[in-house]
Amino acid sequence: MSDTRPPFLPTHSMPTPGSTRKHILAIDDELPILELLKEYLEAQGYRVSTASTAHEAKRMVETEAPQLIITDLQLEETDGLHLIEQLRVLLPKTPVILLTGVMFDTRVVEENLKWKVSGYVSKTAPLQTLLQEIRRFISS
Amino acid sequence: MSTEPTQSFLGNDRTLRRVLLFFALILAVLVFVVVVSLRNLNRSIATSDWVNHTHALLTELDALQPTLEAAEGALSKYLLTSDARDHAAYQEKFAELGERVDVTTALVAAGAPQEKEAFALITELLAGRAELAGRIATARKADDPAVLQQLLAADAASNDHRELARHLEKFRNSQTDLLSARDRASFLQAQTTRWTVLGGLGLDFLLLCGAAWLIRDDLAARRVASRLLQQSNAELEDKVRLRTAELTAANAQLTAQNLEERWAKQAVEHQNRYNLLIIDSISDAVFVVTKLMNVSRLNPAAVHLTGYEPVDLIDKPLSRTLQPATGAAGAAQPAFDPLTRTLAEGHELRDRPAIVTTKGGQTVTVRLNVYPLRDRDKVVGGVVVLQVIPPAIP
Repeated sequence: MSDTRPPFLPTHSMPTPGSTRKHILAIDDELPILELLKEYLEAQGYRVSTASTAHEAKRMVETEAPQLIITDLQLEETDGLHLIEQLRVLLPKTPVILLTGVMFDTRVVEENLKWKVSGYVSKTAPLQTLLQEIRRFISS
Repeated sequence: MSTEPTQSFLGNDRTLRRVLLFFALILAVLVFVVVVSLRNLNRSIATSDWVNHTHALLTELDALQPTLEAAEGALSKYLLTSDARDHAAYQEKFAELGERVDVTTALVAAGAPQEKEAFALITELLAGRAELAGRIATARKADDPAVLQQLLAADAASNDHRELARHLEKFRNSQTDLLSARDRASFLQAQTTRWTVLGGLGLDFLLLCGAAWLIRDDLAARRVASRLLQQSNAELEDKVRLRTAELTAANAQLTAQNLEERWAKQAVEHQNRYNLLIIDSISDAVFVVTKLMNVSRLNPAAVHLTGYEPVDLIDKPLSRTLQPATGAAGAAQPAFDPLTRTLAEGHELRDRPAIVTTKGGQTVTVRLNVYPLRDRDKVVGGVVVLQVIPPAIP
C-alpha cells in the first residue's frame, strides 16, 4: 500500500494536551476487545481512548484529536468504513487501521480500501502484529 | 534482660574484649604499684622514725660519760672548796646526769630486751657512781677526813669508769650496727619502691602500646571490612538491579504473552461467533452433516422448517427428516442414497427435489443443494441447503 498511500500518511504532529504519550482512539462494539486493546497499548506506552459506537467516536474526536485511529469494520449503528469517511472530514491526515474479524484478502485491501484506511490487521493476528502496524505510523 | 545487649556486644567483638583485658591488666598493675608503694612508704616512715629514735639514743649515750665526768669534776671542785655554791653545782650536774639517764632509759624502753638488759648495766654503773659521789660529798660536808680518804681511795681503786666506757662503747656499737642495717633496709625499700613504680609504669606503657596496636589493627581490619562490604553491597545492588531488570522484562513478556493469549482467545471466539452468525442468518434451511450424513449443526431456518429442535437432530441421520424425491408417486427408491454418494464422490449436488418430513408428520417439498466440506483436499462432511418450493398458484 505504501506507493499509493493517500494524504493521511504517518504523522507525528498533533500534540496531545496534558500528555506526551501518543494518543490512540480504538473503536469497537465489543467491550472485551476494547479493554484488551487499551491494556496492551497502554503497556506499550500509548494513551488509549475507547469508543463503542460511531457517535461516541465522533464526539471523542471532536473533543481531542487522536494521533491514530483503530476501528472495527462492523459496528452497531454503521460500518467502520463509513465511519472512517466521516472522521476523515475532521482528521484528514490521521492514520486509520482497520481491525476486523472479517477476513479480507490482502489484495482486496490494497486495491479497494487503500483510499480509506492506512492499514489492515485481522483480529486473528497477534497483538504484536497490530503493534508493528501502529509503529509504522506513530512511535510510543 | 538488661545485660543481654552488653553480653552480645562483648561476645561479638573479640578486639573489644582484648582491649578491655589490656585495660584491666593496666589497672591491676597500677593497683599493685600503688599498694606496694604505700606499703614501702609506711615502712620508710617507720624506718625513719626508728633512725631518728636511734640517733637520739646515740646522742644521749654520747652525752652520758661527759655529763658524768662534768658532775664528778664539779664534785672534785666542791671537795677542794667546800663552797656551798660548788655543792649546788655538783648536785645540779648529777641531776642533769639523772635526767639524761631517764631520757636514755625511756628511749631504750621501746627497743629489744637485749638492749634494755645492756643499758641496765650502764644504769647500774652510773647509779653506783652517783651513790659514791653522794657519800663522798656527805663525808666532805661532815668534815670526816678519814672516811673521805677511804672513799676516795676506794674510788681510785675502782674500775667503774673503764667498765662504763666499755659498756657504753659496746651499746653504742650495737646501736650503730642496727642503724646501718636499718639504713640498708631503708635503701632497699626505696630501691624496691623505685623499681616497682618504674616497672609498673613500664609495664603499663607496654600494655597501653599493646592496646593501641590492637585498636589500630582492629580499625584497619574494620576499614578493610567496610570497603569489602561496600564492594559487596555494590555488587549485590548491581545483581539486584540486573535481576530486577530481568524480572521486569520477564514480567512484561509474560504480561504481553498473557494479553496475546487473551487476544487470541477473543479472536477465536469472535471468529467462531461470526461464522455461526453467517450460517444462522441464512433464511434457507442449512444442515452441516458428517461424511456419514449425520447432522452436526443446523440453523434456525432448518429448525423452523423441520419442527425439530437441534437436540432432536444433532448426531442423527439427516434422512430422519429429509428424503430425496422419487419422482412419480409409488416409484421405487433409488438403489443408493444420492446424498451419501455426493459426499463420497466429493462433488456438489444442486437444485434437486427432496421432501422434508416435519416433526408433526407433514411433508414439505424443497429444493436440495449439497456442498462437500473440504479440508486440505479431503472431504470431511457437507453442507445441505434446502429451499422451500412455494406451492404452485392454481
